[in-house]
Amino acid sequence: MSLPAPALELEALEVAYAGVPAVRGVSLSVRAGEIVGLIGPNGAGKSSTLHATMGLVPARGDVRVGGRSVRGRSPESIARRGVALVPEGRRLFGELSVEENLELGLAGRRENGDRVADVAWVYELFPSLAESRARPAGELSGGQQQQLAIGRALVAGPSVLLLDEPSLGLAPLVVDLVFSTLETIRDRGLAILLVEQRAQRTVALADRTHVLANGELRLELTPDDANDTDRMVAAYLS
Amino acid sequence: MRARRTALELLGPAALVVAAGVLGTFVSQTTEIYFVTALISVSTVVAIYVFVGNSGVLSFGHISFFAVGVWAAGVLSIPEQEKPATMPYLFDFLSSTTVGNVPSLLIAAAVGGVFALVVGLPLMRLSGLAAGIATFAVLGITNNILRYYEKIGPGLNTFSSVPETTDLAQATIGAVLVIVAAFAYQRSRLGRQLRATREDPAAARAVGVSIYRQRLAAFALSGFLAGFAGGLYIHFIPINVDAVYLDLTFITLAMLVIGGTTSLWGAVVGALFVSALDSVLAEMEDGMTLFGVTVDLPAGSRIVVVSSIMALVLILRPGGLTGGREFSLDRLTGLVRRRPPREATS
Amino acid sequence: MSVFLASGLSDFVSDAVDPQVQVDAIGLGAIYALMAVGIGLVFGVLRLVNFAYGQLIMAGAFALAFASDRDWPAGLGIALCFAVVLALSLAMERVVFRPLRTQSAAVMLIATFAIAFLLQSIALLWFGPLGKTATSLAQLNRPVEIGGLDIRKITIVAIVTAVVCLALLVALLSRTSIGLHMRAAAIDSQTARMLGVRANAVSTVSVLIAGMLAAVVAVLLTVQIPTVTPTFALQETIIVLAGVVVGGMTRLVSATLGGFLIGYASGLLGGALPSSQSQYLPSFLFGLVILVLLVRPDGLFSRTRGLVERV
Repeated sequence: MSLPAPALELEALEVAYAGVPAVRGVSLSVRAGEIVGLIGPNGAGKSSTLHATMGLVPARGDVRVGGRSVRGRSPESIARRGVALVPEGRRLFGELSVEENLELGLAGRRENGDRVADVAWVYELFPSLAESRARPAGELSGGQQQQLAIGRALVAGPSVLLLDEPSLGLAPLVVDLVFSTLETIRDRGLAILLVEQRAQRTVALADRTHVLANGELRLELTPDDANDTDRMVAAYLS
Repeated sequence: MRARRTALELLGPAALVVAAGVLGTFVSQTTEIYFVTALISVSTVVAIYVFVGNSGVLSFGHISFFAVGVWAAGVLSIPEQEKPATMPYLFDFLSSTTVGNVPSLLIAAAVGGVFALVVGLPLMRLSGLAAGIATFAVLGITNNILRYYEKIGPGLNTFSSVPETTDLAQATIGAVLVIVAAFAYQRSRLGRQLRATREDPAAARAVGVSIYRQRLAAFALSGFLAGFAGGLYIHFIPINVDAVYLDLTFITLAMLVIGGTTSLWGAVVGALFVSALDSVLAEMEDGMTLFGVTVDLPAGSRIVVVSSIMALVLILRPGGLTGGREFSLDRLTGLVRRRPPREATS
Repeated sequence: MSVFLASGLSDFVSDAVDPQVQVDAIGLGAIYALMAVGIGLVFGVLRLVNFAYGQLIMAGAFALAFASDRDWPAGLGIALCFAVVLALSLAMERVVFRPLRTQSAAVMLIATFAIAFLLQSIALLWFGPLGKTATSLAQLNRPVEIGGLDIRKITIVAIVTAVVCLALLVALLSRTSIGLHMRAAAIDSQTARMLGVRANAVSTVSVLIAGMLAAVVAVLLTVQIPTVTPTFALQETIIVLAGVVVGGMTRLVSATLGGFLIGYASGLLGGALPSSQSQYLPSFLFGLVILVLLVRPDGLFSRTRGLVERV
């Protein structure tokens, strides 16, 4: 009996902008119930990797969700295959209410599963959102907005969750909350690919963390390396 | 090698134009009209290309500069005693001044250039959609003023008694001059800087190129050349104010798009191709016998055909007939090579 | 001289304030508002200014004339009008808008410019420059006496229709899921797609709604202008476009308000200004458009960030 295919697999992924390579042959996989971290300096290609996975930019190589390739598909159809992205800067619809933002997340649902239950679960994960249901998303605090962005991705009932620097601009306590929520989500069985700048915390949280530099994967770290992270990364990149 | 390539960029279009002019001497007088019209179209479309092609910014307004050139050259070259017939309310200095052929063309060009400069001062800050809309508004304003301001021209009357000095020779020479000017500009530092802003605005700004100033320079030159083309036109055929408005704007933009917006070769090819097509269709509208078969198209089919081709080009082959590339012999010597367009940035 | 101007101005004002003129102006404003919604909706969702919108109205008007020629009942004529306009709208969406979705707004503008000429020239070919007349609903152009004023029935119909259409549209946008998707696509289409919003569905629905509005406008306009020529509604479209730009293209509310106000102003000026004074009105209007684009590119009534690229 063989293992089921990983929830997400990237194989030799390449992304270039106007001829300039941003991602050079990245291969990694994320299994259900796993958090894989992706860290690296600015401009390393972390966001591009996520964008390519979501079909937002053209790419070479392969992206497989549950064993089936999604390369070349439109973002809408990749969303329907069970991938959800929490983009950098959240990109919420500020004039629309919290409820409407969540409802938009439902656009990406596959027709299995119970949407009401999934929405309820999001409100359970993030009680402050439940209180602010009717408020315009633009009026929420930074932390609440991040929660809304994650919640919006979750209501789609994805099997793969991609996060692009969710801790950006957030206070440490709020980061704690977000990261512990990610653990809860992981325990629900989702596969999570977490792109972050905060190297140490990511290494401590994730089951495995890859270091990306100049478009290439260089190093793999486990939580045991958490205390030594900065030193190891710096040594490797210098 | 590079010098030869550069020379071809100029010689290709110029030679094609001269060939058209020469060809025109062998046809009947009625057919010759189509040739002259085609050559004036070349001047007009190349003038528009100087701005639109190099900057990548859409302009609907260039026929205003053409129109202003028409007015300047027309009003000033009608003999003094004929002026009151169609233009009874002219300003005194206009009604008492009459100039010859070449001076009228130069004045037309100058007026076109100055008008473009004045219009461009505020407008060159705009890009994209806003530029398109704003230049369309300029077209509207110019038409409105020329239509009703009878102190500067015939208003709603048709221009008449303008000396018909634009024959095949003048039209050909005019077209060649405009092509040379366009070539000189695009090869100059100014032109290359402007093209750089089209390709990569951020990089251009980073090396200190002022997008605004470069566009303004191109816009003014473009207006100068369009005014010149307008001068050529009024010396060819009497027209009225609506002949230099929406229909002419449409057909000249169609010529540029179909030929290839981003190259001089494209502008020339587009103008000649669409003119040829338009002439053939015009003949068919009058009832033409082709290979023993009489074709009689209903009037107005021409625009249907040209606008369909324009739409198809935009949707299917946005580079136009020439792919937006300059003239080069490599393409004549055979296979289609998948090379990115050679820009004049070397 | 100033006394002359002053008396001219006071004549204008007293003409303009006449309730008859006011009502007619509001009626015209209502029609222009519907056109503005059609243009603004497609712009908001597709970032596309449909230069050929006037030709959609023209096509609908010709359908009405066609039906009127054959003495069809008015209802059937209206149905034909809707069918023609919707079919044409769908064709435009599939053949022109969708393939060009990835291109710049300027390319789309020039493409719709070409389509406008194409449709107009086809109409010229088919119906000739003199056009046809659409007279089935002519009785709506007759006045009815209300409160001492002679108001044409069509004016009332226009105002009521506009209000109903706008109310329906608001309900659609705020209460349905497709409406939510459309609003989201208008704000940030890339993120909307990332969430799973179907770009094609949103595009098609917007174009269909704009088409329905065009058909409504065709019906309303032919009552007042029964002669349908290939340039039918061309001038009105340009004026509405100016109004939409001045009001603010990026938001539906400001676009509609701009359209209404310019229609209303046109009605006032038309009713109260002698023609010799109004020659240069187009120049003022176009000048206003340029001014707005330079100084307040989001429009006079808008409050948000820019769509306009500046250098």
